Amino acid sequence: MSTHPHPHDHSHEVTHDHTPCADASEAPPGYYEVMEIAVRELLIEKQLIGPGEIRRQIEVLDSRSPALGAKVVARAWVDPDFRARLLTNGRKACEDFGISFYDDTELIVLENTETCHNLIVCTLCSCYPRPVLGLPPDWYKAKPYRARAVKEPRAVLAEFGTVIPADVEIRVSDSTAQVRFLVLPRRPAGTDGWSEEALAALVTRDAMIGVVTLDSQPLTESDGEA
Amino acid sequence: MHPSPSEPDPRPPFRPVTSVVLALGEAPAFRPGDPVRIGVRFPVGHYRVPRYIRGCDGVVESVITPMAVNNEIEGFGHNAGSKGHYYRVAIPLTALWPGYAGSPADNLRIEVFETWLERSST
Amino acid sequence: MNHSEELLRRLPNDIGGLPAEAIRRTDHPLEPWEKRCHALADVLDFHKIINTEEKRRGVEALGAEMVGALTYYERWIATFAVILFQKRILAPDELAKRMDEVAARHSKVLP
Repeated sequence: MSTHPHPHDHSHEVTHDHTPCADASEAPPGYYEVMEIAVRELLIEKQLIGPGEIRRQIEVLDSRSPALGAKVVARAWVDPDFRARLLTNGRKACEDFGISFYDDTELIVLENTETCHNLIVCTLCSCYPRPVLGLPPDWYKAKPYRARAVKEPRAVLAEFGTVIPADVEIRVSDSTAQVRFLVLPRRPAGTDGWSEEALAALVTRDAMIGVVTLDSQPLTESDGEA
Repeated sequence: MHPSPSEPDPRPPFRPVTSVVLALGEAPAFRPGDPVRIGVRFPVGHYRVPRYIRGCDGVVESVITPMAVNNEIEGFGHNAGSKGHYYRVAIPLTALWPGYAGSPADNLRIEVFETWLERSST
Repeated sequence: MNHSEELLRRLPNDIGGLPAEAIRRTDHPLEPWEKRCHALADVLDFHKIINTEEKRRGVEALGAEMVGALTYYERWIATFAVILFQKRILAPDELAKRMDEVAARHSKVLP
C-alpha cells in the first residue's frame, strides 16, 4: 500500500480514503481487520494520530531488514574501531552508521568468539532488535522457542542444525526491558580480503539471532570479490 | 566489551569533578561483579521478571544505561515517574535448571530492575 | 498453590522453561492489515497514547485462553481497543458501530 501516491492534505475530510487496503478485488476483511480499520479511522478522525503517520511508519518498517544488520556485522568485521564502538554502545554505533532507532530501545551487541556463543530470546513476549533487523520471524514469537531457549539452548540449537562444542560457553540473553540484542557472528574462515559487500551477503538473520553460526556456510571462491 | 562478571572493569571512572552530590537513586546500588539474588514475589497484573529466575543467585554483569522507569508501573500507562537502574545479571543455567545437561559454563543474561535484586553473600 | 492462585501469579505470556514442542521454523509475510497494526502500535507509542509496556500488559490481561487462541496481531488490536476504552478515548458502542460500517462498506463493494 505504501507505493501509490496518496495526497493527505485534506486532513479533516474523514478517513475512508485513508484506508490503505482493500481494493475491490480482495476478499472482505476479517473480523480483526475490520477492528483495525475502525480503530484507525476513529483515531484519525479525533486527530489523535495524523492521517499519514501509519503510512509513514509502514515505510519505516519496510526499510528495516536483516540486510541492514548484515551491513553492521560486515563493517564490524573489517573496521576494528567500528567494532569496538559497536560493542561499547550498540545503539550509538548503529546511529552513527545511519540506522535510526525509532523506538526507545537500547542495543547491546554480543560478540561470538572461540569460547562463547550467544543466543537471544524474549521469553515474555517478542522483543527483537527491530530497528536493525526488521520484524522477527514467527518462530521467534512462538512458544517452543521462547519456552525452551533458556532451559535447553543446546537442544534448541541442534534443531537449527547448530552444534556448539561442549567447551564453548553458551550465553543466552533474555530480553525483558528496554535493551535489545544483536549477535555479532564470527567471521567465516577463508574470507580474508573479501569486500564489505561480499561479507555482508554471508550474514543471515538467524546468525544475528544466534541460532546458527556462519562457520558452516559453504564458501566458494566465486563468493569473494577481487 | 562488557566485562565478564568475574572480572569487573578494572578502569577507574574518569571523574575530574568530585564536588557533585547525586540525587537519591542516581547512583547504582549494585556494581559489576556483585553477587545478587533475584527476589521472590508475585506482582498482580504485570511484571517483567519471569518466574523461572525468581529466587536464583547470579552476578551483576553491568549496569544498564540510561536509567528507566520501572516497567511494572509503566505497564499501566503513566508515561512518567522516577527512574531506576536495570542490571544485566548473569545466572548459570545449572543454577536455574536442576540436572542441566549442557556445559557448566552455560549461562543466562537478563535485565532486572533494581527493586528485584537482593544482595547475596555468595 | 491452588489453580486459581496460580492463574493470577503466572501471567499467560510467562512461559520461559515450560515444557514445549520441537521448534517449527514458521514464518509468514505479514498481511497488509497486520503491518498496519504494527505501524499503529508504533505510532500509538510515539504519542504515548498506548506505550509499549501498556500494550504488553494489555495483551497479558486478555487472559490465557485468548492469548492462546488469537494470532499475534489479533491480540494487539483487541488490546488497543480495550485500552482506548479504559482511557475514554473511544467508547465501546462507538467502535461497534464503526466496525459495522466498515464491514458494510466492504460488503457493498463485493458481490
